[in-house]
Amino acid sequence: MTAPAGSARLRRLRKAYFGSPLSALMTLLSAAILGFILWKLLDWGLIHATFDASGTQETCAAKGGACWSVIATRWRVILFGIYPYEEQWRPALACLVVAGVIVLSCLPRMWSFGKLALTWTIGTIVFYTLMRGGILGLASVNEQQWGGLPLTLFVFVATGIIGMPLAIGLALLRRSDYPVIARVSGWIIDTIRSLPLLSILFTCAIVLPFMLPGFLIGEKLYRVVFGAALFFAAYQAEIIRGGFQGIPKGQEEAAKALGLSYWQRMGRIVLPQAFRLALPATINQFVIAFMETSLIVVVGFMELLAAGNTAFKTGEWKFAYAEVYVFIAAIYFAFVFGLSRYGAYLEARMNVGHRKD
Amino acid sequence: MDLTAPAIELTDLDKFYGTFHALKGISLTVAKGEKVVVCGPSGSGKSTMIRCINQLEEHDGGTIRVFGTTLDDNVGLIDEIRREVGMVFQQFNLFPHMTVLENCTLAPMLVRKTSRADAEATAMRYLEKVRIPDQAQKYPGQLSGGQQQRVAIARALCMQPEILLFDEPTSALDPEMIAEVLDVMVTLAQEGMTMICVTHEMGFARKVADRVVFMDKGEIIEEAPPEDFFGNPKSDRTRLFLSQVLGH
Ligand SMILES: Nc1ncnc2c1ncn2[C@@H]1O[C@H](COP(=O)(O)OP(=O)(O)OP(=O)(O)O)[C@@H](O)[C@H]1O
Ligand SMILES: [Mg+2]
Repeated sequence: MTAPAGSARLRRLRKAYFGSPLSALMTLLSAAILGFILWKLLDWGLIHATFDASGTQETCAAKGGACWSVIATRWRVILFGIYPYEEQWRPALACLVVAGVIVLSCLPRMWSFGKLALTWTIGTIVFYTLMRGGILGLASVNEQQWGGLPLTLFVFVATGIIGMPLAIGLALLRRSDYPVIARVSGWIIDTIRSLPLLSILFTCAIVLPFMLPGFLIGEKLYRVVFGAALFFAAYQAEIIRGGFQGIPKGQEEAAKALGLSYWQRMGRIVLPQAFRLALPATINQFVIAFMETSLIVVVGFMELLAAGNTAFKTGEWKFAYAEVYVFIAAIYFAFVFGLSRYGAYLEARMNVGHRKD
Repeated sequence: MDLTAPAIELTDLDKFYGTFHALKGISLTVAKGEKVVVCGPSGSGKSTMIRCINQLEEHDGGTIRVFGTTLDDNVGLIDEIRREVGMVFQQFNLFPHMTVLENCTLAPMLVRKTSRADAEATAMRYLEKVRIPDQAQKYPGQLSGGQQQRVAIARALCMQPEILLFDEPTSALDPEMIAEVLDVMVTLAQEGMTMICVTHEMGFARKVADRVVFMDKGEIIEEAPPEDFFGNPKSDRTRLFLSQVLGH
């Protein structure tokens, strides 16, 4: 005899939340607290909020809730920083291009080296042309004037694109058969990991120009991105190494015995399995890298968070910082939440056929 | 590579792990088409010896010749030898992130540059031979141990090697699955494949081996056709070993 599924579920819920007087009390208490917070947020953010662009401190205060008018009037500063006002359709389009390329490369059917390389090359060229201008009749906009969301996206994506191959290279060198190579790679990784990101960014932005020959200095933005990529690579290399350690020794031996070359063994057998094992930590590392893009403000770049800060620096909006931060937080949340959901999707997809081990 | 030369010729093979002398001057010749079973107590160097043949272990002294080609530090040469020498492991070592079919087509496509269609046709032929063509689209994790080991044999066969090395292929299997793997190996033996099998399946040795090699402490103690080896062992150590293996 089996009880209907619905009642079994109900019984399980009741057991979990109302199993004893104490747990019933805790359940009710938490529900009350949650409900109260939710209600307060709704009340502030929606019910008593002012949405139209004509709102001022007085009219907003009169309604008692959030003053979204600050977003309605200042959103272009938040999203694009000090990028020339008339040209701001360009960073907007550039953001869409980056988002499109990211979404495209997340699709399993795009996962071949050729397709990905083509997509990213085209994406990078379009992004750079739009942002930098100077050709095709687009006014030239210096990297120092880039700001807001496209700058944040650029730093994040470039960190990943440069950092990931570096990480793979460092991780492979670290497990080299030649002790000298393995040790040198280990030292590089450990050195970078023991430096704070801030000091790396400062070094790249300010100290490096004194040390490098002129033709190698390049634009400050690219030096900073390189520093961030190096930092990302050191951590990601250790994550990949953790993945290597989870692969049985027999896997590489079997590949050797079949006559696969070093690069075929790495590309087809070792790295795919290492990435599978290291996937949760890798997603984590990307999330951290995204958050850390906000640090480039210290070397003079107005990324999303810094651009948001300027949005309420003018006298009339000084009171509305909470609204601006909520808006920026929502943008970060959308990206990071999307990233972690994608990670979960990948994990589920990779678990196909792995039920037994 | 000279297919008229002996398939494998080991001369005074030495192997050290640190200061431990794992192989002490092993000499063994295997002719093309010959079936050799290697047995001996645990730690006697059986795995080490056959893993030297395809250079999963580097030897420290002596020579290894495969079809007349001497193995040295030349990496290209090692790759060439590995193409002709297949290996089946105790732990199967199938690639868990690929389907059975992909496991079988990977090396032919990458190493032999076979087209996908040809590689798949060959793979299906060998999967039929090991009697699991219906599992081609499954992942290794979805198969039983015996099925996995048969896939591993098919995977090795897909490279169409001249020689197959087996390192205790049935030791990790439940008793009821041993027979299905041994059956496949017997079939291969009868078709004339050159085989070196490390195994304690003495029934298999009696049935198919041309020669049984007994190793102990890094040395070959005795080497004889199965009738003599089992009927009239010369060394005391062989006799002791046989009484332990066959005793129960
Ligand atoms: N990587 C290694 N490092 C150090 N010693 C090793 C290594 N591999 C094997 N040995 C030693 O070499 C000796 C021979 O090992 P080998 O694996 O060849 O034995 P075997 O005859 O295959 O034994 P088994 O029946 O247990 O598989 C053993 O004493 C073992 O401890
Ligand atoms: Mg062994």
